[in-house]
Amino acid sequence: MKKTTNKIITLLNDIKEKSAFDGQMVLLVGIFTVLMVFFTIMEDGFMTERTFSSMGFQIAEIGLLALAMMVSILIGGINLSINATANLGAVLAGYFLFKVFPPVDTGEIAQIFTQINFPAEGGNTTIYILIDILIPILVGILTGVINGYLVGYLSVPAILATLASLSLFTGISTGLTKGRTITGFPPNFELIGAKTISGIPIPFIIFLVMTVVTYFLLNHTTLGFKMKMLGTNPTASEFSGINNRAVIMQTYIYSGILSAIAGIIVMSRTMSAAYEYGSKTYLLFSILIAVLAGMTPGFGNVINVFISVLILQILSTGFHMVLLGVRGSSFFKDFSWGILLIIIFIFNYFVRGRKAQE
Amino acid sequence: MFNKLIKSNEFLVFLIIITLSIVIGMINPAFFSVATIYDILRASNVYNLMAFGLLLVVILGGVDISFVAITAVASYGTHMAMLKLDYQGGIWLYFLIGTAIGLICGFLNGFLITRFKLPIFDLTLATQTMLYGFSLFFLGATANFDLPERMVGYYGKYLAITEDPFIGTTGLHISVLYVLAAGIFVWWLLKYTIIGRGIYAIGGNREVAKRSGFNINRITMIVFVIMGVLAAISGVTQSGFQRNFSPTLFIGQNLNVLASVILGGASITGGRGTVIGTFLGVILTQLINRALILTGIPVEWQQFVIGVLLIIFIAIPAIREERARKVGHTTELSEEQA
Repeated sequence: MKKTTNKIITLLNDIKEKSAFDGQMVLLVGIFTVLMVFFTIMEDGFMTERTFSSMGFQIAEIGLLALAMMVSILIGGINLSINATANLGAVLAGYFLFKVFPPVDTGEIAQIFTQINFPAEGGNTTIYILIDILIPILVGILTGVINGYLVGYLSVPAILATLASLSLFTGISTGLTKGRTITGFPPNFELIGAKTISGIPIPFIIFLVMTVVTYFLLNHTTLGFKMKMLGTNPTASEFSGINNRAVIMQTYIYSGILSAIAGIIVMSRTMSAAYEYGSKTYLLFSILIAVLAGMTPGFGNVINVFISVLILQILSTGFHMVLLGVRGSSFFKDFSWGILLIIIFIFNYFVRGRKAQE
Repeated sequence: MFNKLIKSNEFLVFLIIITLSIVIGMINPAFFSVATIYDILRASNVYNLMAFGLLLVVILGGVDISFVAITAVASYGTHMAMLKLDYQGGIWLYFLIGTAIGLICGFLNGFLITRFKLPIFDLTLATQTMLYGFSLFFLGATANFDLPERMVGYYGKYLAITEDPFIGTTGLHISVLYVLAAGIFVWWLLKYTIIGRGIYAIGGNREVAKRSGFNINRITMIVFVIMGVLAAISGVTQSGFQRNFSPTLFIGQNLNVLASVILGGASITGGRGTVIGTFLGVILTQLINRALILTGIPVEWQQFVIGVLLIIFIAIPAIREERARKVGHTTELSEEQA
């Protein structure tokens, strides 16, 4: 038994050395394949277009947040405020429309919702949709500047600075909406979050584009190189003439923009904006994805993050279908994610441990 | 001695608490009463228990995410088992079994971290997800309100009772004794045992601690077991307070507890932190919550005010240090050397 395990590990290491892939990617692709085969056998309805379409819609939000998290981890920090940024952007965009089109008289609904009274036959819908996209992105940049200033220029530990800004951003959204959900966005707005192009969900396309952009940024630009350098050794990068503070600032701004795009997709898919959307789950899931992808300061791969997002979504969708009808079935995914992560940690330990011995 | 006391972080937090209390008292005189003290203590007890455990992990140089999930699994798991047995006795058995569950969970964390050399943050993130998933899927998805007969009165078990014209009858809850016991224990552990000195040493400089002969694995294990036990006690106490057992107890609260510990002067990079500071940090957080209600700030803006205060709290020392660095000396030279 032990001999076979050793053989497999040697084989994996060989593959790692001979190919451009890193070990983590081989492992992730392996898990991905196993899961696909497992669920295809277990569940007849798994290999259908409908399953993948619904996964495509769900993946984009968490995927973009995971990208936002990964760039901050890459430079040796962490950004806890990503989900708060996404919600703040959405809420401010909604609040803008709410101010332009105040409600007539909503009565009891006003207790739960902040209703935008968008005219049914508005001629200039496009302008408002553009503004609704622009506001969150501006918010993303601004939140990035705040985080970047605290972390880069005041040298506050990233976990602490972004914990405080998480509180601040959530506070602004809560205060503006009075804890209610903003609804009544222009009807065409759902184009971004709920429509498909030849069967492929638009949110998924956005996620794909941003993955490619991030890949390009990290691997083919000076900034990407500086970010990795900063993550590996801040002192060395400082003495190499890199302006650490500026790199930190730019990274958090990029992280903020990615979060804001996630916010736009959420807003468009649900046609509403709420201060607490996903606040209890999304943040930790995005860290979970980054950890699963093997992100460490200075080292990490966008493709690994992409595969990790797919793996978590397949686990969640797959178990949901297999356990359909079982009480509390949707919670099994949390359990399975935790177990999977621990297994990967242990597996990595043995691969790493063996390498250290050699 | 006196000079040192004034310069300490604990004293600063204490001053802020006093100032804040005076300001609230001037706006709303109802604040100055014994009932307020009892009330704040009661609300902060469960957070203090968790914060004392987290303090040890933070001094060690890590951040535990999973302790909130341990509170849920320990209290809810015990309750679901007791329901099956039709237990009608007091809360003491809950504490006993809950503590055992907490101990096991803490041991699991400690074992995985030390055996496989994993980062504390990453591993506890995984165990938090797993434990909440476990409690929701295997134990039950909804809160349970069927308390054993003799446990119903637990929320009103007071050591001393006071009448207040604004709040009504309230008292010093018995759980303050747990906080006292846990606080003294952790304080003693940190100050007078070789394990405690080891915790500081590891947080200060892991490599040096290792070469000085501290058994890092054993100390890490002990810290996580204590964290698990304190989390479990906190979970059972809180369930007793709110008179129901929930599978998602304290979900999303871990970062708030961390913020309290940091406010209390513990360093997030490890090696620094005290029990008194943590206690004051938790009290301050609860005081801010209460202050906002009593001073009439609309409920929906409370989170915003807390956020602004947090930013100020972390920015002021950072700016001070930055300025000192530019001048060419640090504010606390001894710390820089250590």
